[in-house]
Amino acid sequence: MTVALPTRRVEEWKYSDLARALGDAGFGEVSARAVAGPVPQGVEVFLLDEPNRPEWVKAHYGKLPANSVSAVSLAKASGGVALRVHKNKHIEAPLALDFTGQGHVRALLVLDEGASLTLVERCDPAETRNTGFEIVLGRNARLDHVRIAPNSSAVQVEEVSMTLANDAQYRAHFANFGAKLSRLELAIALAGAGAGVDLSGVSVLSGSAHADVTTDVTHVVGHTQSVQLFKKVVAGGAQAIYQGKVTVKPDADGSDSRQTAKALLLGPRAEADLKPELEILADDVKCAHGAAVGDLDADSLFYLKARGIPEKDARHLLLHAFLEDAVEGVANTDLREMVRGAVAHALDQVTA
Amino acid sequence: MLEIKNLHVAVDGKEILKGLSLRVDAGEVHAIMGPNGSGKSTLSYVLAGRAGYEITEGSITYRGEDLAALAPEARSAKGVFLAMQYPVEIPGVTTMMFLKSAINAQRRARGEAELDAVAVLKAVRKKAATLNVSEEMLKRALNVGFSGGEKKRLEILQMALFEPKLAILDETDSGLDIDALRLVAEGVNALRAPERAILLITHYQRLLDYIVPDRIHVLAKGRIVAEGGKELALELEAKGYEQIIKDAA
Repeated sequence: MTVALPTRRVEEWKYSDLARALGDAGFGEVSARAVAGPVPQGVEVFLLDEPNRPEWVKAHYGKLPANSVSAVSLAKASGGVALRVHKNKHIEAPLALDFTGQGHVRALLVLDEGASLTLVERCDPAETRNTGFEIVLGRNARLDHVRIAPNSSAVQVEEVSMTLANDAQYRAHFANFGAKLSRLELAIALAGAGAGVDLSGVSVLSGSAHADVTTDVTHVVGHTQSVQLFKKVVAGGAQAIYQGKVTVKPDADGSDSRQTAKALLLGPRAEADLKPELEILADDVKCAHGAAVGDLDADSLFYLKARGIPEKDARHLLLHAFLEDAVEGVANTDLREMVRGAVAHALDQVTA
Repeated sequence: MLEIKNLHVAVDGKEILKGLSLRVDAGEVHAIMGPNGSGKSTLSYVLAGRAGYEITEGSITYRGEDLAALAPEARSAKGVFLAMQYPVEIPGVTTMMFLKSAINAQRRARGEAELDAVAVLKAVRKKAATLNVSEEMLKRALNVGFSGGEKKRLEILQMALFEPKLAILDETDSGLDIDALRLVAEGVNALRAPERAILLITHYQRLLDYIVPDRIHVLAKGRIVAEGGKELALELEAKGYEQIIKDAA
């Protein structure tokens, strides 16, 4: 079976030339793996390459809209993992989910009504991979999601598609340090009143790294909320992309949407393409978006240097400060420190 | 301490300082007064080493060393401090974190051991109390949401912490009400010391009621046009800049 990969002629893939980055090898014919960490009580796990899928997997697997690349993973992936948190279960300790190996892989996460979970997603940077991840949040469910994608010389593509029922809350942070081609696409449907998403992300890119974050948030019904804050530091010949589309459906009155994307370019060859986009089909909504690309503030730099802080450290401090409000989006203290550590390490490369 | 000889400085190719000469010795407090556009801020920035201020002629000697050859951070480590007219706001960096970075950067540059967080906190708290800088201010992002008075107090707190040899205060009195002015002046007076020189740059005589200088220099059109003791401030207040400059010509 052949499923075509998108070309740059497709608007959504304008800044990410997947076919060229993959070359003749494509994603390969083997299957990548999804490994869940020690699974606490109250979480059910099913490995997708095993027979006899339970009802909850059958009910949700492959049911959310998939983009063309995710459709390929649905068609080709032979493995992956499905996770379910049962009704009203609150899982305190973060659950790790690791994507490793080469090829296509799928994951499914279902939070039943009133369930809550903190998920730490880690992406092994070693190999080229296409991940399709579906998330279903039941009424009043709460998911905190932190995804850390280390710098990679491979092609790494992931689509997260998600639906939220009434009063469900999704809070996510995406730390991305670039790849030969890195694409994270979020397709989110706010399908129940009171549902909300709070998305934040940072990218620190140098060399020839590429990182594309594309979001597509639909306010299907009214009284739903979406907040997005993405910050990018781009050095060398690296390229950062943010495409954020927010759609407010007809009659989705009382929707509240904010999206902000900012990038600092640290050299003449660094590139940032920020494209927030709003499509409002309802009347009574509150929407704001903004994007800005700039350089470090000269006044701030001078102030710090005049107080004895050397140029390199002053730049580091200002870059850290620029990213901080996005990093603050990580609710869990340990995970926030983990993200800060990864950011500090990446900034060391950038300011070296 | 500081000797400026025939200093010419251009900004964007336009000459602002046109042959300024000035000598400040250790233990002295000097005031530079001048109308708007006389070159007061240019002088403070060129002393601190801001980019874009080009010395086209003349020299600045600080403790026997060519100051112009040093990067801003090196000047700071060697004891030069500029309290800025407009302290910058830096969201994302807490005031305390900034103070610790600055103190330790200066210490590193001087080959001294760095202070740990507890030692820095102790030192900061001790000085902060007298300047009415609250714990809460120290936790906030640097200068973000600070009132004019709070910003200036934080500048003086830094001056107290860094213990510079040469302190330059650029329009530190601007935007302060009388209570804030008194507090800032007390902070500065507390730092008067035989081993320290202080240069006050100001438009108004008001500050000099609280910090009494040893010497006053009047700056106009990029040069010192009149000099005198503390009584010159009163004369300026009475006659205005225009008359004094005319008298001097």
